Amino acid sequence: MNDPLPWLILFLPLLAAVLIALFLQGKPRLSALVSVGAVVVSFILSLDLLAQFLGGAMLSAKFNWLRVGHLTIDFALRFDALSLLMVLIVTGVGAVIHIYSVGYMKGDPGYPRFFGCMSLFTFSMLGVVLSGNFFQMFIFWELVGVCSYLLIGFWHRRPAAADAAKKAFLTNRLGDFGFFTGIILVWSMAGTMDFIRVREEMMRNPELFDAAATGVGLLIFCGAVGKSAQFPLHVWLPDAMEGPTPVSALIHAATMVAAGVYMICRVFFIFNVPALQIIAWIGGLTALMAGLIAVQQDDIKRILAYSTLSQLGYMVMAVGLGEPPAAMFHLGTHAFFKALLFLAAGSVIHGMSHEQDIWKMGRLKERMPLTFWTFLAGALALCGLWPFSGFFSKDAILALACEKSPTLFAVGIFVAFLTTFYMFRLILVVFFNRSKSDAAGHAHESPLIMVVPLFVLAAASIFGGFFGIEQFLAPQFAPAPEAASFFIKAAGFGFAAFAAGAVTAFALYFKAQSDPLPAQMQWTCGLLRHKFYFDEIYAELIDLTQESLAKAANALDFVLKLVIRALHGTAELTGRALRLAQTGNLQTYTLLFAAGIAVVLYFMLLH
Amino acid sequence: MNLSLLTLELGVIGLALALLLIDLWTPPALTGRLGLAAAIGLLLILALSWNMSGGPPVVGCGGMFARDGLALFFKRLFLAVGVLVVLMGVEYRERLALGFGEFNVILLIALAGMMFAASANDFVLLFVAMELMSVSFYVLVSFQRSRLPSLEAGVKYLILSALAAAFLVFGIALIFGVGNTTNFAALNAEGVRLAQDKLYWLGLLMVLLGLAFKIAAFPLQMWAPDVYQGAPTPVTALLAIGSKAAGFVLLLRVLFVAAPVLAAHWSKLLMLASAVTILYGNLCAIPQRNLKRLLGYSSIANAGYLLLGVAAVNASGAAAVLYYLAGYLFTLAAAFLVICVVMRDNEDIGALAGLSRRSPLLAGALALAMVSLAGVPPLAGFLGKFLLFRALIERGAAESPESFRSYWLAGVAVIGVVISLYYYFAVIRVMYWAKDPPDLSPIIVPARVQIPLAVCLVAMIYLGVMPGAVLAGATEAVKALKF
Repeated sequence: MNDPLPWLILFLPLLAAVLIALFLQGKPRLSALVSVGAVVVSFILSLDLLAQFLGGAMLSAKFNWLRVGHLTIDFALRFDALSLLMVLIVTGVGAVIHIYSVGYMKGDPGYPRFFGCMSLFTFSMLGVVLSGNFFQMFIFWELVGVCSYLLIGFWHRRPAAADAAKKAFLTNRLGDFGFFTGIILVWSMAGTMDFIRVREEMMRNPELFDAAATGVGLLIFCGAVGKSAQFPLHVWLPDAMEGPTPVSALIHAATMVAAGVYMICRVFFIFNVPALQIIAWIGGLTALMAGLIAVQQDDIKRILAYSTLSQLGYMVMAVGLGEPPAAMFHLGTHAFFKALLFLAAGSVIHGMSHEQDIWKMGRLKERMPLTFWTFLAGALALCGLWPFSGFFSKDAILALACEKSPTLFAVGIFVAFLTTFYMFRLILVVFFNRSKSDAAGHAHESPLIMVVPLFVLAAASIFGGFFGIEQFLAPQFAPAPEAASFFIKAAGFGFAAFAAGAVTAFALYFKAQSDPLPAQMQWTCGLLRHKFYFDEIYAELIDLTQESLAKAANALDFVLKLVIRALHGTAELTGRALRLAQTGNLQTYTLLFAAGIAVVLYFMLLH
Repeated sequence: MNLSLLTLELGVIGLALALLLIDLWTPPALTGRLGLAAAIGLLLILALSWNMSGGPPVVGCGGMFARDGLALFFKRLFLAVGVLVVLMGVEYRERLALGFGEFNVILLIALAGMMFAASANDFVLLFVAMELMSVSFYVLVSFQRSRLPSLEAGVKYLILSALAAAFLVFGIALIFGVGNTTNFAALNAEGVRLAQDKLYWLGLLMVLLGLAFKIAAFPLQMWAPDVYQGAPTPVTALLAIGSKAAGFVLLLRVLFVAAPVLAAHWSKLLMLASAVTILYGNLCAIPQRNLKRLLGYSSIANAGYLLLGVAAVNASGAAAVLYYLAGYLFTLAAAFLVICVVMRDNEDIGALAGLSRRSPLLAGALALAMVSLAGVPPLAGFLGKFLLFRALIERGAAESPESFRSYWLAGVAVIGVVISLYYYFAVIRVMYWAKDPPDLSPIIVPARVQIPLAVCLVAMIYLGVMPGAVLAGATEAVKALKF
């Protein structure tokens, strides 16, 4: 525990959360100040840490948590390029979103609770990022899940929010179950949970996991499937949009959902070739499916949520194709522009008095110019137009796919087309077309405290591609061969996809009053509107399996209840019987004392 | 005679005498300040104790008084209890009717007795230290002279304690008769010869039984619930924490300094006593409605858990006892602080109804204390029990493979823990989910309660989450013992 700096970064947000929970419940302004202060200070300290790291300092922080006999458990923070990048994203983007929330959540009765949860989330997320072993990571991984649950269900009196929170939590449990099984397997086979030591073990003995290698890799990947909402566990993320918009921006776009991608980058060495292939395909499939669904959504936040899914699919695909730096690069730029898009959408929702249906909006460009321009910047970055940040990171992934797998490259290009299409559909309908409701006529620009964060993120979205994130990360992974030729090819196809998407969107939605697509392609659109009927299929599946299991368990429970009643009755009766000896009478006590002593002496000396 | 050995004890006694004098010139309205002064004085002595390193063990005062890591660990424990109990007393002041000045003085003297006990290296000092405690407690328990339950508790404690002391002193006489010395080290030197002598056995067993009274373990546990219930709350706290800890340090010293040869032999007896104590305390606690009485039974059960560590007869068991006592200190202190504030004339658990709305801080603190007592992670109580069980399992692994005694005992202890969940959580349920609480007026918690309460809560969590430092200290401290 020599250097306090790393510990401060991690524990300041926790301290803020504790302070708010214990002392600041009735003090909204102070609680916001404490929460924002903690994350801003953490960010500044991480910048200092980055400077030290670039200066060549070796950073580590570790203390022995428990040592009993041979069992030693360490609590260690790990600092390398990968975790530092994530720390900067979590605290940096987090700080901006915290500040935005000060304005967005104003007047909410649960204001201190909101900031308490946000601080707790920041702490847990930093914990995930800085973990040096599976065990510690899993603990924080679950804590992040809890925070997500609390924040999705922040307006818990709304049934939809409560249901969404439950759905997110349960779906994640499913993924975590696989993750945990994977961890146990790694532990039992490698004998350690420390990332570096597992890696060393694998280097020393390439046959360590033997036939189970693919299975172990996929089980670990299950954790990412849950947290990063990949197919088939993607269903929770769109519903999670029931939470307040800053939460959607911070947790369900920029940071937490990226934790899955981060995790598989962190333990990249564990995956063998077949596992990576499956990972790549799951990523590609998620990207494609989510992109398609986004085309037919009407809720502004849900469109962005599906877009998040599809971008996460890109990242997972990049890892599956063997290039974690590309995935992390896209993760970084995506954190900027997707947070920006959500916050700008939040600003729109705020200006429209909590209306989220895009068809009830219109002409907002005139009424909310600042929001419009920042949203546009974010959208162009998302579509991958040069020189916005998204171009560089998406291009890196497309170039990779072009080199490794033509099919996935085609999928990637098609998803890029879809992305541009649904984003331009959104922009045209919300900001340009004639307004169709009163609310749109009365919309107003948001206060300064919400607009300034938009500009900060817009700047990051525009220039984020020039930071050299990929080069920063590259030394940590095996060097990749230069792929300049693919790069040009990918960029060309990418731009074509962008142009095609934009043109199609203009053709269909320019001055449109309602969506023309359902009339033309009834069957397809129905499928997309119902999100490929995943929720319905899952509900049926659960009805079939879980419900019958539950009935069986209920029957068993009845029997067990009788047994437990009997046990409880026995304990209670014995207690009451023993109490009879406890008369309160002094003479009785002395007698029992003497008898007890006599028994002990007899037992020890004469027996 | 090396007086510097006794710095801490002399400090406490000096503080007591100074308070006695100052009290003469203090107007009654300001006596509360005296309690605060006593707390600050004890804190200073506690700070001073950190200045004394454990260092190489020193035996002084004619071989009677040992200053080693074990003694220092317990003295710090006692001083911490002292601070918390004195602050409780300030909160309890108006209910004592008169003599608050003397109350503090006697409390400090009892504390000095415990600190002497921590250093006892001779049966004579053991007896004197115990009597110093007992006599002080006779007065303290019956301090509310106008309240009948307090007087009744005082009389019960007096007579039963005297009975136990009689056995103890008889045992000491027998030991002296056989061994020709009362010094622990000297007795140990003769250990192998003495272990053959059944008269020596009888003497030592009687001493152990006398100590069983102090820690409220079977077969001398009957007094605890009655006395805990009747005594003024701060005194109950001191009995439950300080007196019990003093009993355990003496037990450790007698068994593992004076008679390590027999201790290994008697592990069966200790295990049996532990099992019966655990079951008795937990089963009897179930039907209780009075919170202080409930904690009396819980204290018996906890004596049983602590005996697990002694019965394990190994270093990790003894270290676990120390660790458990440290956690137990802060957990119980938090509970009694809350009782002091909330339960003014009604000590029924029902009086806690709606506490979560009257004062979230107090409800949270009591809930956390109950959860820790029940042994739920990540609190001190969990880690303490974990260490005790672990020591027992270690013992089981070291024993011959046919003997499953340790595992049986661990099983009984686990059953005890399960039973205890029932009554501990009943307390929490009343505070948070009672229907139609009769009284919802907010309780104002003064800073002199808030601060010690916060310290207790932080310590409870710290000991549950970061066991490293304290466990290392405990492991170091038990090096004074032989196994």
